Amino acid sequence: MIQIFSTFEHSIKLELALSTLEQEGIQKECIFAVPLTNRKVERRLFDTMHNSDGVSLVSTGATIGTAFSVVGASVGFSLTWGPIYWGLIGVAVGFLLGVLIDLFINTVVKNRQQLLRGKNPQVIIVVECQDGQADAVENILWNFLASGVARTTCNEHSISS
Amino acid sequence: MNNFRNVDNQYRRFKAHVSLFGTTQLHLRNPYAIAWWSAAFPGFGHLLLSKYLRGFVLFIWEVVVNYEAKINLAMVDSFSGHIELAKHDLHPRWMLMYIPVYLFGIWDSYRTTVDMNNVYLLAERENAPYNSYSIGAVEINYLDKRNPIMSVIWSLFMPGLGQLHIHRILTAFFALVWTIVFLYASHTLEAVQFLFFGQIQNATQVLDKQWLLYMPSMWGFAVYDSYINTVESNKLFESEQREFLIQNYQHSRFQIKSGKVVHK
Repeated sequence: MIQIFSTFEHSIKLELALSTLEQEGIQKECIFAVPLTNRKVERRLFDTMHNSDGVSLVSTGATIGTAFSVVGASVGFSLTWGPIYWGLIGVAVGFLLGVLIDLFINTVVKNRQQLLRGKNPQVIIVVECQDGQADAVENILWNFLASGVARTTCNEHSISS
Repeated sequence: MNNFRNVDNQYRRFKAHVSLFGTTQLHLRNPYAIAWWSAAFPGFGHLLLSKYLRGFVLFIWEVVVNYEAKINLAMVDSFSGHIELAKHDLHPRWMLMYIPVYLFGIWDSYRTTVDMNNVYLLAERENAPYNSYSIGAVEINYLDKRNPIMSVIWSLFMPGLGQLHIHRILTAFFALVWTIVFLYASHTLEAVQFLFFGQIQNATQVLDKQWLLYMPSMWGFAVYDSYINTVESNKLFESEQREFLIQNYQHSRFQIKSGKVVHK
């Protein structure tokens, strides 16, 4: 009897993996999912599709950028380069300023630790199966973007048999 | 068709609702950030809170009263140092009615944010199930992960597209329609064309100051709103899937066996 351990990020792919396993004859009772609580201390400043915790460098930038571009576009009417260029310059300067403020607050003031690199495993999936099914199960896990897979063998009776 | 119905009213608060028109969710928001967006453009703060109807009312009020009072025009002249011109721009018949509603927008969105943050905390603790899938004759909406950077890029090209990307139909429609009005009435795109030919003087002259000044807030809001909502709906997806896994894939008889890792 085999138990296969794997880690995933939260995504539709994960649910596809589980449903494919069930189609392949793995019973629901033989799949064990452990959603992890990811660490909150080391927050990322750049949000991606895979990871976002609400702390970002965009909020203050968008705020100040908008304000600066209103003023820039207004003053631009009496400057050589005109309102559109000055409005755009206002956005760029305001956005950069906002990013710098956020960077300062997040790195210097709060003295945060170095950012974690790479993707976080968010869910642990353990699949119990017969020896003959193990290759197919591993393939399914990999195909649906598991970040890591490991196979363990044990001699005890499985709950599915 | 929805995948959840609150049949016997057993839950008190819900933290999210997926409908054909979009995903509505409660999450923690900074009341000062929301108040700021109401100051940039009345209505934006409420739209960020998913309080669409009052957001639309305040927004349209702002367009009309600001236009009639010539607030934007007076802003341009004031920022350019032409104080006398600015005094001349403003129409007293409209101007004074601008002030109370403007301040109300800021105050009300701040107050609502503080309230809704409390509601969110209670809803999060109650952890009631909520509708997470909706399919109907005209649309289909479900929880999913989207890339926040793409929301920003599309919003920059055209305010409203970022909202379409994350299925927020109401804000998308509203932003698209008003962006058309602002861009057309302000002659912005004509000015851009002049700039491509290097004719800065012509570009400046063709612009309508009053209408142009609506656009920076429109752009800033579209970017901020689509970005923040992409991030939050990604988080909602994760928390919903987490709950699904716990409900369905934690059988009580499952045992982790001590074994040896097989290396292939």
